[in-house]
Amino acid sequence: MRSGPIATICCFILNVVLFAQATELNVTSSSINDHDTNPSLELLVDTDDKTNSITSNDIEDVRVDDINERENFNVITINDDIQYPFNEKLLIRPLPNNNLLASFAFEMESETFIPGHDESRSDQYRHFTVFPKAIEAMLGSTSTRQLHLRFTRGFWDAESWGRLPHDGFKSGGSGVELWAIIEAGSQKEAFDQWKTLANSLSGLFCASINFIESSRTTYPVKSFQPKSTEEGLPIFGGDETKNNKLYLLRASLANEPICTENLTPLLKLLPTRGKSGISSLLDGHKVFDSMWHSLSIDVTTHCDFNTQTCKYDMDAEVDMVIHVPYTLARNEHPIPRPTPNSELRCDLTKPYDIYQCFPLPESNSLSFEVSEIFGKPIRGSNLISNNPSKVCVDIGDNHENNSWEALLKVNGSHFGTDDNCFDLENKDDYDIYISSSNTNEIGRHSEKEEDVPLYVSRSLTGYGQDRGGLRTVFTNPTNDTIRAVYFESLPWFMRLYLSTMKLESDAAGAGLDLHDVITSVHYVTAIDHKRPTHLEYTIEIPAGTSLAITCQFDKALLQFAEYPPDANHGFEIESAVVTILKPWSYQIRTSTLLLSLSTPDFSMPYNVIIITSTVLGLIYGSLYNLLVKKLVTIEEADEIASQVGLKSLITRLKKKFI
Amino acid sequence: MAGSTSTSTLRKVVAFSFILSYILLGLPLWYKLTTVYRAPLPAEYIESLHNNQFQDVHLVIPVYIKPDVYQFPDIHDAVQVQVNHLLDSMRQTIPWSLQILPYDEKVMDENNEHHIVNLQLSDFVGYNSAFDSKETTVFYDDQSVVSNDLPFFIAQTLVEHTFQLEASKLSGPLSNNDDSITVGYHPNIHLSISLLNGDGTPVGWDIDSSLKDYFTPFRKLLSPIVNFTVDSSVLYYNDLNLHLLNSVENITAVDLSHSIDLSELSSMNYFEESTALNLAIVFPNSETSSSSGLEFIKSTEPSKNWQSFLVPQWGVIVINKYPLPSNAFLTESYLSPIMYQFAQDLFKLMDLTDSNSDEMLSPYVRIDSFKRITTLSNLQKATETLWSLIKLTKSFEQMAVPSDVMTNVTKALSLRLQIIELLNNPEKGGDLVWNEALSLSNTLVSLCETAFFHGEMVQQNFFPQEHKVAVYLPLIGPLTVVTLLGFINIMKEKKVLAKIKNQEKEKEEEDVKKVD
Repeated sequence: MRSGPIATICCFILNVVLFAQATELNVTSSSINDHDTNPSLELLVDTDDKTNSITSNDIEDVRVDDINERENFNVITINDDIQYPFNEKLLIRPLPNNNLLASFAFEMESETFIPGHDESRSDQYRHFTVFPKAIEAMLGSTSTRQLHLRFTRGFWDAESWGRLPHDGFKSGGSGVELWAIIEAGSQKEAFDQWKTLANSLSGLFCASINFIESSRTTYPVKSFQPKSTEEGLPIFGGDETKNNKLYLLRASLANEPICTENLTPLLKLLPTRGKSGISSLLDGHKVFDSMWHSLSIDVTTHCDFNTQTCKYDMDAEVDMVIHVPYTLARNEHPIPRPTPNSELRCDLTKPYDIYQCFPLPESNSLSFEVSEIFGKPIRGSNLISNNPSKVCVDIGDNHENNSWEALLKVNGSHFGTDDNCFDLENKDDYDIYISSSNTNEIGRHSEKEEDVPLYVSRSLTGYGQDRGGLRTVFTNPTNDTIRAVYFESLPWFMRLYLSTMKLESDAAGAGLDLHDVITSVHYVTAIDHKRPTHLEYTIEIPAGTSLAITCQFDKALLQFAEYPPDANHGFEIESAVVTILKPWSYQIRTSTLLLSLSTPDFSMPYNVIIITSTVLGLIYGSLYNLLVKKLVTIEEADEIASQVGLKSLITRLKKKFI
Repeated sequence: MAGSTSTSTLRKVVAFSFILSYILLGLPLWYKLTTVYRAPLPAEYIESLHNNQFQDVHLVIPVYIKPDVYQFPDIHDAVQVQVNHLLDSMRQTIPWSLQILPYDEKVMDENNEHHIVNLQLSDFVGYNSAFDSKETTVFYDDQSVVSNDLPFFIAQTLVEHTFQLEASKLSGPLSNNDDSITVGYHPNIHLSISLLNGDGTPVGWDIDSSLKDYFTPFRKLLSPIVNFTVDSSVLYYNDLNLHLLNSVENITAVDLSHSIDLSELSSMNYFEESTALNLAIVFPNSETSSSSGLEFIKSTEPSKNWQSFLVPQWGVIVINKYPLPSNAFLTESYLSPIMYQFAQDLFKLMDLTDSNSDEMLSPYVRIDSFKRITTLSNLQKATETLWSLIKLTKSFEQMAVPSDVMTNVTKALSLRLQIIELLNNPEKGGDLVWNEALSLSNTLVSLCETAFFHGEMVQQNFFPQEHKVAVYLPLIGPLTVVTLLGFINIMKEKKVLAKIKNQEKEKEEEDVKKVD
């Protein structure tokens, strides 16, 4: 031990001395070039020996910058190979009825780290480049191996718009949805970490994620399973006495409002911070003025078992559907006002004059620039990435009959490419010009991919405040049997009766029984105030069939303090999640439901106190009087009353004065 | 008639027993059942501790004297007299003293280093503190031996140099609030090192090897006191609003604090450690900065184009004069002076060195003193927390005081005595003892904080007395009225009956008179 601290101090002092030498020599190195005597300086000027000097960072090409030399050239060098694992891509895709889907995708990777190392060891350092520090610290402290967060709002019109972006795997149900894979020794420990994770995320994203508690948390068994990768998810384990496992937890806050305060933290997580690259387009006013929008974050841990190192991958996506004519009109007149007479498009086949006009549907020719939609152009490429920022417009192949056209606009000139994908490579302002002579005709790369494999809708049935029903309709428009997992998490105050589950089907599915359709069921009953109902079943829907599955439930009464301030608004029930396994991989969510429960009179507790007390007071009074008072005849009582008390007093006063 | 008297007595007894059971049984029972549990905390003891923080502390540090050429059999006694005299002449808020002992080979242990004074015969008189151990060397010449100045000289060296930190800190109030620069002591501190580039051009730095070379020794040195966790990060498009200072030629701390925006750099929220310090290396934005760079960065050395600023209780900002070129790479030669500067500033931020004296001449002795002073200030912090707890419980009469709080307070108080025993014992004074005292004092602080921040108390979800009465009034009101009025009536009954009787008698007498 004695040698330990001494060596440390020596080292410390030596370093100080060495540093002193280094700085001193730095000053003179440019003039005398005396690098033989001082090996620590070789890297600064001698380009031949450069690889020896900076091997720790594997930099191959270090050269002295001639242009921007200044005095500090010897301490700040130029290395053209500095690139970081960050990618961004914007996909613009026209949808029917003059809608436009804009998908922003950002990918980033963390620096590698060795799991299980004590951070407080004196030679242990963590480094962050493009991966957000906030996320990594959170994942580390809660042993989270995978994190998925969704902020979605709006209705995706599948029948008109087709498939969800990213096959539905990157958008949640309306509201906030969170699921994570957490490593822990027991389920309780996993839940504690989950709670910490939710609270941290709540702070980070200014969202009410902290309202996630045990009565909203489920442990899915078939849905939300991590994609099986070659190496699988790592268990860092710690010591061997701890038998750590991975736990998948999920919770959702139905219809939670999503707003700018959720988007801004997301932008801050990106290395470009919304200042350059495609993220410079993202602005709360435009994103949340859309028909449908979804923000998502997915973080996964990847480990290399040979080198015993791990790293985190993060995908952040912002998807939105914009109605183009509406947005353009809004740019012109921020406050909506009626279309002027001159701009009215009237149906000339019907009677029209100065007073009446049957409007035509929206014009199907469109031409706009992306900057008009988002309010600003793309401010250059991101410069730190190994790949330039990319913008693609999905309008099918460029051929003569294509009614669509997409061009890149830089410094007033327009450029086009064959595949309508543009690489943004420098700091200029970029804009994308898109025009179409017929917006109803949208070219796509492959027709098969576009079909929505399944439509699902869910609704509440019944009336009254004590019971209700849940009806889910599955419609398979395809020619294949669809195999899917249906996941539902219902609050404990919806007491579901699984025995009442029934199947209704259309003519194509006549004769089908519930057991033919549902192959396996995982059901966890609710515990009042503690656990939600968790229902997952695998369902097979034959080709071209429409099925409805109904179930009855009772509405429970909540405890006095459990009612929200706006109890009469009703209770939001989160979306059901349908994950299609065969023949394609796809995920859809139903819309949320609004369940009205009987709400009590909130002055009730005090009334109860008063009534109870009154009854007790009455009983006590009668008992007391029975025990203590004397029983007399009415005559006796009258006599006594005539001599004492108020009556006798009045009689006596009368006698005196009259 | 006799029967009616006996029933009337019985009724009175019943009414009386009702009122008795109401007052003696009902009310106390109601009070008892509706009162919250309040653990009996040792309020008086804690108050006395608060009034006289260090009433039972007398810090004793053993020092061993090791002569070289001449052997002085009684030098330790002589030095002891001189040291006592010197210490007596000083103001001592917290009593402390040195125990001068002859060098004893048996006590010395590599793992448990003690303070040693080496006497070395030389041709001049002077002293030297070792860099790498807790040894002080006093040089003396024959003249000083002859004139018997040596004991005084040793005593002076010890009190005014080796234990200078104790001498200065223990003479006044032991509080770190008087200095607005330092952060409060905490055993775990997170350090965030950020490279901020005003532009979005890629930038690399040799941070890992720089930290390992220049910062790891520093962490090791301070490891007995503080455990650091360190991270580094690169941030783009953030120059902390440096462009506001473009035309400023001379910068003051006020200018800097008015224009620099550090809000995005607070990593305290993300990490478990409750204290975080930062180092930010900032490069201005190339678009907003002028070609001559930031005017206020005036460096004496031509190679150094940066200046570091200490931000009180936050950390250090290193501002560079020029923006970074594209694809810049910061080498270890650039980072090492910054690391060195940062390490020095950290000493200031952690109150390890006086803000005035930049040099740490004998870091080992300093750190040893720092351990003792931190232990003492932890003791003070703990008693203050306990006193706040007592004040809290006193001011909220209806607040529950759970038994957990009591357990923690008892534990804390016994731990405090244990620490004081370590500090007071003149025979104990090695590294291990001070380390143990420090770690126990950290436990003490956290115990006291756990006691104070108990969920059931801090939430303050208790009802005031009036609320309780209001809720129970609908029950207690009718019961009281019935019982009390019933009792009064039955007591008045005799009077009334007597009155009636009297009236009857009078009537009868009148009738008799009339008849007569």
